Amino acid sequence: MPGDWAIIAEGLVKRYLTYARRGFIRRERRIIEALRGVSFKVNWGEVFGLLGPNGAGKTTTVKILTTLLLPDDGNAWVAGYNVVDEPVRVREQIGVVLNVEKGFFWKLTGRENLRYFGMLRGLRGRDLEDRVDEVGGMLGLDKLGAMDKLYEEFSLGMKARLAIARAMLTDPPVLILDEPTLGLDPHSARGIRSLLVRLARRGKAVLITTHNMFEAELICDRVAIINRGRIAAIGTVAELKRLVTDTVPINIVFTGLAEDGLESLEKLVAERLGTPARISGEDRGYRIRMLAKPGEEDRIIAESISMLSSMGLKVHRVYVEEPSLEDVFIKVTGGET
Amino acid sequence: MAGAIDVMRAQLHATIYWYKNNRWLFFTMFLWPYLMVGMLLVVGVMFGSMKEYASRMGVSSPGFFLLSASTVAMSSLGIVDAVAGFALYNRWLGTLNYIVLSPMRTTLIFLAAGIPDSLITMLITVTSVSPAVLYIGGLGGGLRLLLILLVMLVGMLPLLGLSVLAASLLLLVKEESNIINSIVPFMLLVSGVFYPVEILPGLLQAVSRAVPVTYVVRAARIASVFGGLRGAPLIAVFYSLLLLALAYNGAASLAIRGAEERVRMRGVD
Repeated sequence: MPGDWAIIAEGLVKRYLTYARRGFIRRERRIIEALRGVSFKVNWGEVFGLLGPNGAGKTTTVKILTTLLLPDDGNAWVAGYNVVDEPVRVREQIGVVLNVEKGFFWKLTGRENLRYFGMLRGLRGRDLEDRVDEVGGMLGLDKLGAMDKLYEEFSLGMKARLAIARAMLTDPPVLILDEPTLGLDPHSARGIRSLLVRLARRGKAVLITTHNMFEAELICDRVAIINRGRIAAIGTVAELKRLVTDTVPINIVFTGLAEDGLESLEKLVAERLGTPARISGEDRGYRIRMLAKPGEEDRIIAESISMLSSMGLKVHRVYVEEPSLEDVFIKVTGGET
Repeated sequence: MAGAIDVMRAQLHATIYWYKNNRWLFFTMFLWPYLMVGMLLVVGVMFGSMKEYASRMGVSSPGFFLLSASTVAMSSLGIVDAVAGFALYNRWLGTLNYIVLSPMRTTLIFLAAGIPDSLITMLITVTSVSPAVLYIGGLGGGLRLLLILLVMLVGMLPLLGLSVLAASLLLLVKEESNIINSIVPFMLLVSGVFYPVEILPGLLQAVSRAVPVTYVVRAARIASVFGGLRGAPLIAVFYSLLLLALAYNGAASLAIRGAEERVRMRGVD
């Protein structure tokens, strides 16, 4: 059922017709396929990240989901409403950020701008004032003095906060944000990320597009990587990481082993834990590096610690070498950025 | 669900605060009608004296006619700019997408958004010329100006439709500013603001009948013949404007719906 999911995209296809100039009058007609069957679902209460290189189709997908663009084929539902047939209903359910750098009246203050967009969404009187104050406070705009400052005097961080405040004016159940932290200083970006996670934990669905792998890894419950108009990979960050490696390197740093025991320990680990192991010197002790199959990391770590301890060796540190989401992204998109 | 009243309230709010934050611009707006008077005067007396101009226009008080014609011209400009320029201005600011995302039909937004600004421009213009009108025509002149304001309010209806038609076109084409830049001078050219419609070539005379401003200027001319106001021509002006209002707003409603669909296929910006 569409209403069970916050967002459903089903086989979205979008083609753009463009004209390339060939001389003064002649133009060459070109069809660009921005989306070639994009499908994904977003749960209530999750932060879902849409990652992709430039021109991959992220913004086109966002525009279709926000009813600004009609798909040529396929369908989508937001909060149970169809984006093609019920655009007004969809608009009631969403808060949108499309470009944090602009989208407000330069000669109005933050508060005046928020009032304007609140009125357009049907807020009135005391409700409007309370809501404007509330979102201003939630995004820290009041503390920054941005509520009563002209938008033309805003820093990029203030602009981004105001854009998100506008998206939250009617407290919509679904937030769709196109690169909400683009160009922000680390402090502002961190504040916004933490807010998005808090909102998701309160049951809202948050869809963000981003180039920032660190951000996606940090806040997204699930991620879809879109490339050349197709979903190239989808899943939790951990699931996606398994796509780029069939083994997970585990390292244990320990002391107490005599130098002549290295080879026999390597063999013992391989025999008992069923994983290849190599021991090398590290600081004043040794590091044993084992390769676990995905999903077996916890067992290998527990058993190896127990084995080393039973041999009278002292374990100092355990760490797992994980591929980054960036590694996944580069592998899935074929190195495009 | 939000509606047309919410759009008008929002637009009124934005305009009032925009003027509040741009006080100098607000004050200069009271000078613009006089600049328009100057332009009309220069064009009007280009081919003869003021007396010849008055006789050519068929008015007994050329001063009053210049002021009222300027009011009509400025208000028309304001209406076209408020409605047709709405898409252009908001696209430029990056606000258009967010306005379209309001939970209502885009058609409704475009039909309602220009009304507050149009009324404000009209009010500022009439307020601006009032002292001069009272000086030239006394209390009678003031009452005639009020009559013209009434005609302008009715004239606003077809002009709104015409402007929404232009706005539909603006949504579809990229080189949008040229459309607005051409519409207003053309309307003023054929409306009889500068010289009587009767001296225009036949084709332009026919076109002028389809331009709402023509009828408002005609009302201004009627009001500028001091010493007895003719009722029948004024009623004809009202009827013509109402007829044009029906035609243009009907066409505009269809055009903006079509444009909305086309724009959703292509993207708002």
